Amino acid sequence: MSNLKDALEGKKFVITGEVGPPKGVDIETCLHDAEHLRGKVVAINVTDLQSAVMRIGSLAVSAKLVERGLEPVYQLTCRDRNRLALQSDLLSAWALGIKNVLCLTGDHPVLGDDREAKPVYDLDSVQLLKAANMLNEGHDLAGHDLDGKPDLFTGAVVTPAADPLEPQIIKMEKKINAGARFFQTQAIYEPDKFEAFVNQASTFKVPIIAGIVVLKSAAMARYMNENVAGIHVPDALVQEMADTPKEDRKKKSVQISARLIRELKPLCQGVHIMPLGWDELVPDIIEQAGLG
Amino acid sequence: MHATIQKPIDEITGYFKPGEKVFVVGCDNCAAKCHSGGIPETEEMANRLKTRGVNVIGWCVPQPAGVSLCKLANTRKVLQEQYGEQIKEADSFLVLACGQGFHTVMDATDGEMVHPGCDTVFGGETVTDDFITEYCSLCGECIVEYTGGLCPVTLCAKSLLNGPCGGAKDGKCEVDRNRDCGWQLIYDRLKQLGRLEQMKDYVEPKNHAKWSRPRSLVVHAGDATFKSLSGDHMVTNKD
Repeated sequence: MSNLKDALEGKKFVITGEVGPPKGVDIETCLHDAEHLRGKVVAINVTDLQSAVMRIGSLAVSAKLVERGLEPVYQLTCRDRNRLALQSDLLSAWALGIKNVLCLTGDHPVLGDDREAKPVYDLDSVQLLKAANMLNEGHDLAGHDLDGKPDLFTGAVVTPAADPLEPQIIKMEKKINAGARFFQTQAIYEPDKFEAFVNQASTFKVPIIAGIVVLKSAAMARYMNENVAGIHVPDALVQEMADTPKEDRKKKSVQISARLIRELKPLCQGVHIMPLGWDELVPDIIEQAGLG
Repeated sequence: MHATIQKPIDEITGYFKPGEKVFVVGCDNCAAKCHSGGIPETEEMANRLKTRGVNVIGWCVPQPAGVSLCKLANTRKVLQEQYGEQIKEADSFLVLACGQGFHTVMDATDGEMVHPGCDTVFGGETVTDDFITEYCSLCGECIVEYTGGLCPVTLCAKSLLNGPCGGAKDGKCEVDRNRDCGWQLIYDRLKQLGRLEQMKDYVEPKNHAKWSRPRSLVVHAGDATFKSLSGDHMVTNKD
């Protein structure tokens, strides 16, 4: 049984975390990061070749979390596998004890560390959600019966600060119709914009878990503003980080994340904290957000 | 049209064995429009190779004007009837045309050694005399009726069928901030046409069996049959 599903269906405000598998086989640091989240979050996302960089897989690291009694949200992108491999990995995930899967498009290979790789995208994220839910019903995407079916709790992502927002809302509805049962969002730094999005999406009645990316520095904020779609860190927040001496940055990061969570809490059904390696801060963030 | 671009001259000269007798063939349709294998470029290629010590024994761009090299009957006739002696003498052929024209020369010379002088880059629209761009990926299963006439397979870097990813910024694609997001273009156009509802319909995954290679088409005056791994798909204009 998925604890994430139980919590969301039980209308509990959920907290999820995230770890990023490394480039190589030394996964101890990654598992150590996950340990900081034990007992603090309901589930831990495991990213799938994040930033299109070739790494150890999210399936392996998710399975390692299961072994340790931690609940993963297995991220699965459409970038690297055709529909046979995607469905097969979903079945494998279930066999390895993974209950939650987040279905994503995936960053394009040219953004990663091997620009010449073939972008697959045999399915898109909507079709992947449909495939996962067909597997849950005991059939594959081609309609063939399965010998034993999974019961994966399937989620998707949405970018609330996209401009224009309407195409995102249209696609969000398609994802729900295809079987998305929860949404995680891109990082939110502007609660007012998030509220506008929530109002547009209010008819959908699917839980939304707001994304919190732990801000590490003013430079990081500026970099995201320049380069990352759907993320905007307002000037005041950039300045707040810039004015913070280096030794106090982690403390400030905690304060900002906690403040955002308090502001976002009435608007969503949970928060997804992406600490980008600063996982040891997550317990403090949760505490200061009043969710401890 | 099949867009082509000449390979680097050093790569081409590297193909030939010492003394190899080479006959250069261009195409008066697409390659002429791409300035990669029309009459001036083919003559120029012959001269450029000669100055680099390649034994070029002749060149031609099969006529009539504007005809495609990939029309086998015409290419065979021109090569065999107008250049018969040179064709017999040649050890090999350098083709300045697309991959289809390239193979046509192989057929027209009954299997002689043929060297590619161009890279075939895409099938495109000749927007202006000096700009050709790609709107179709030749997938064998057109869906533009539902996307405002703009193909997401081609215009979206990820060929997504059900809407944009989260990677666009200011209407530009994540792979290149100077490139329009294909789905932004589709959204804008559907909205302008009053057909935005069409974007809400679920689109099934592509039938890749129709995109299998090689595919063929058997055509007659009243019917045509498309042959791919998806099977034989016949249509008639008689009903």
